[in-house]
Amino acid sequence: MKLVIAGKGGSGKTSISGTLARVLARQGRRVLAIDADSNPNLSLTLGIPSERFNSVPTLPSNLLQRTSEGVQLSKTLDEIRSSHSLEGPDGVNLLVMAHPQHAGTG
Amino acid sequence: MHATVRSVIEVASEGPADVCILDTEASPEHLSRGTAMYAEAMLLVVEPYFKSLETGRRMAALGVDLGLPRVVLVANKIRDERDLAAVRQFAEQHSLEIAGVIPFDPALNDAERAEIAPIDHDPESPMVLAVTEIARTFVDGGK
Repeated sequence: MKLVIAGKGGSGKTSISGTLARVLARQGRRVLAIDADSNPNLSLTLGIPSERFNSVPTLPSNLLQRTSEGVQLSKTLDEIRSSHSLEGPDGVNLLVMAHPQHAGTG
Repeated sequence: MHATVRSVIEVASEGPADVCILDTEASPEHLSRGTAMYAEAMLLVVEPYFKSLETGRRMAALGVDLGLPRVVLVANKIRDERDLAAVRQFAEQHSLEIAGVIPFDPALNDAERAEIAPIDHDPESPMVLAVTEIARTFVDGGK
């Protein structure tokens, strides 16, 4: 199941996203959490310390490949998981779209 | 960059046990650029005051326009019956479903200050229990 969680800044959406991810992982689901906020802080509500969070490479835009079928990812999701995600408590994988210092460059 | 997010979401969660959760910006630009396009459901977190509810309503309309099968509200930081009544009334007026009600939880500020995840700070807190309920009724029931 793919869920989008959105809301005004300060609405608590990131606390809810992180907690929902952890709860679902504890129930035995394989959870991929994606932080697509320009001020990413999902890692904290998932329980991943900021030092670890800052060490993960963000997703490069060359992941996308133009084919006759349209635009496709050049790697499988498992490859992306292992190269560009952090594994947090309860086995939740976090994919980071942009670090604060790089915000706006992507 | 948004095209990348979009493609990742598109291929994410292949199996029935897979869940992909996208935490995204509240702005209509983000949603309309199609970041959310491949999702099956959109949860809009709203607080019980007009500006927040109005943002939620606008984004819900966008979600529906994007063709998302389920667009729902989650009422957050609810302190009392009056707060809940305000969200319920708004939801009813605009024919929106409320998928969950999360009580105001002052302990969340402590967790944030200590840089501890809410679920690690207090796994039995009202907020964590309410989110667990959403996982049970919405995610499991909505499969």
